[in-house]
Amino acid sequence: MSEHVLLNHHDHLDVKILSHHSPELEEKTNFTMVFPIEFRDIQSQYPIFFQKNTETGAFYPIALFGLEPGENLFLSDRGWDASYIPLMIQKQPFFIGLKHDESAEDGRSMVVTMDPSSPRISTVDGESLFNADGSATEFLNEKMSVLEHVHQGHEHSDEFVQALSEHSLLEQFVLELTMEDGSTNQMLGFYTVKEESVQALSGDVLADFSAKGFLMPLFMVLASHANVRALIQKKTGV
Amino acid sequence: MKHIVIVGGGSAGWLTAGILASKYLLAGSDPDAELGIQITLIESPDVPTVGVGEGTWPSMRTTLKDMGISETEFIRACDVSLKQGTRFEGWHTRSADHYYHPFSLPEGYHQTNLADWVAELMPDQTFENAVCAQALVCERGLSAKSITTPEYAFNLNYGYHLDAGKFAQFLRQHCTSKLGVDYVQDHVLSVNEDADGSIKSLLIEKGGQLAGDLFIDCTGFSAKLIHEHYQVPYKSLVGVLNNDSALAVQVPYREGQEIASATHSTAQESGWVWDIGLSSRRGIGYVYASEHSTDEQAYDVLNRYVSKNCGDALAKSIEPRRLSFSPKYLEKFWYKNCVAIGLSAGFVEPLEASALVLIETSAKAIVDLLPMGSKSLESAANRFNQKMDYHWLQIVDFLKLHYVLSERDEPYWRESRNPDSIPDSLTDYLNVWKYRSPWHQDAPRIDELFSSASFQFVLYGMGGQPSHTRHHFRSASSERQKAIGHLHDNRKRVEHWIKTLPTNRQFIEKVGMHGLQKI
Repeated sequence: MSEHVLLNHHDHLDVKILSHHSPELEEKTNFTMVFPIEFRDIQSQYPIFFQKNTETGAFYPIALFGLEPGENLFLSDRGWDASYIPLMIQKQPFFIGLKHDESAEDGRSMVVTMDPSSPRISTVDGESLFNADGSATEFLNEKMSVLEHVHQGHEHSDEFVQALSEHSLLEQFVLELTMEDGSTNQMLGFYTVKEESVQALSGDVLADFSAKGFLMPLFMVLASHANVRALIQKKTGV
Repeated sequence: MKHIVIVGGGSAGWLTAGILASKYLLAGSDPDAELGIQITLIESPDVPTVGVGEGTWPSMRTTLKDMGISETEFIRACDVSLKQGTRFEGWHTRSADHYYHPFSLPEGYHQTNLADWVAELMPDQTFENAVCAQALVCERGLSAKSITTPEYAFNLNYGYHLDAGKFAQFLRQHCTSKLGVDYVQDHVLSVNEDADGSIKSLLIEKGGQLAGDLFIDCTGFSAKLIHEHYQVPYKSLVGVLNNDSALAVQVPYREGQEIASATHSTAQESGWVWDIGLSSRRGIGYVYASEHSTDEQAYDVLNRYVSKNCGDALAKSIEPRRLSFSPKYLEKFWYKNCVAIGLSAGFVEPLEASALVLIETSAKAIVDLLPMGSKSLESAANRFNQKMDYHWLQIVDFLKLHYVLSERDEPYWRESRNPDSIPDSLTDYLNVWKYRSPWHQDAPRIDELFSSASFQFVLYGMGGQPSHTRHHFRSASSERQKAIGHLHDNRKRVEHWIKTLPTNRQFIEKVGMHGLQKI
């Protein structure tokens, strides 16, 4: 990955962004990080599981797109076939950076950066980022609002996952699938919420979860498991 | 059995307290008070602990986990690094030849004995690298696991390097605050016996009589109860194991220096140097035979080692602590209602870090054998003594194995492999192993401390690849086929771990920052 660049209207006036979804434009992955604030939308389409951050070992929630590494069963030349696309996909190719800022409360302020090597960057087709007068286009404003959501989602997500760990609600599982041709496919390294443990939570903990906005996403995770079947159907066409 | 009293608060006392207290319901702290027992640890406030047992075996993982300790907290509190085995240098000849005794077993060890096939199938490889990934991982300073591996789980089998002083404090905190062990700081003045000669109580300076049903002697070299009071004699190992002295120092790391993934043991003219890398510092010591080396000569050896490995400047300033000991162990570890655990039970040179594992084994054996409803402890004591005697014999044989295979020519090394000094049991093993490799039947007990794989690693580490073959057996071709598969699996494993594991230091730093997950 090349170093991200700070977005500004001097350097990026002519830059255009390809905003549609196609296999050429997306990273080859079968999952992406998701946030509890979007679980209601996520669970209508994708199974939600948890993975460990390879740098810190911390859990984070993910939406699953496919049943083997690199497989995205929602993505084809016709686009991304789902009524909701996760925030982390929507925000591409932009990132949130933090800039030293004396005037801000914690000495830092949020800035928008861009991955200059992204295949979405073009000078011919796509959406402009800045108007001729240097102001942000509606397209860029939309992306910035997505980034804002992601930023807010992170902190809440960390607290949510922390609470799940503390109450031992997560467990490792192996998704073992038998394909049409009889071959089996094991997916390792995923974690999920233990339903029995959720049912065993005390009233005090449930009240605390509810007050902190953890209860709804917790049940959304459980509900999302039904989407595994839909993924298998997508894969096998049955 | 209502009250167990542990005397002495070093690693031995607190490990024993923790193991017992996490197994039994404790009176007072548990709702089922009438079933529970009481465990008291009494420690003299001003007796320093010896604190040299700084390397553990993989068994310590289970021991700590069963005590309900968080591995993250333990790693942070006791300056822990992960230990994957021992690296022996210069033991075979005086050149810089080296080999590993890793904690992981050879690939496919439960079914296939790769030692029978490596010479034919991988003639250019060392035994340890052909059959196991761990030596190659250690040579690169890599960790036994990554930050995504749960607490106590491993990618490659591991134990710990730890600060013995901090470890005892950490265990004390856990035992008293979480497990309900009673803690008394007081001096033991004298022992009060029952009519049958059992210990009835201890007279303590401030607290009067401390009565109990079982007394565990963790008083270190002084062995206050088992030896000073009961006069249970020791069996001497003088003439078998020659080392009786040690010089020990603690040395800081240089900026950014890697933490070794194994204990390093480097042979010297009249002994060997241990080098244990904690996360915060190294513990280095020369253990030697006073018959072959003056203290001045020993100081020079240690100084040379520190100078070569840690820099001249540091070497100039070292002020080593001198320890002397006589290699020995008790004739009876459990006598009447008194059990010795730790240095009071016996001591040999720290060559295979047997001190802490013997403590764990002893405490677990007490839990296994202690008759709760009976007054008579005699049968439990007999079983315990047989078991511990067996372990000590095995330890002596295994330590001696390191010496008898050496071809070094200094007087110390010649004497160490003098046939008269070799136990008969080891001589028989060595003769058998000329014609076949060590295998499961050579370590037949379920509670064995050293598996037969340990014998293989030392035997072929010191002496090169095995020379016997299996071609005279009907099963040879199917065995060979399986061996090819396992050797292939091991090569894959090596590639994978070398690519994915962090260094020992990176891992420890990550545990400091993020902690490990429980699952």
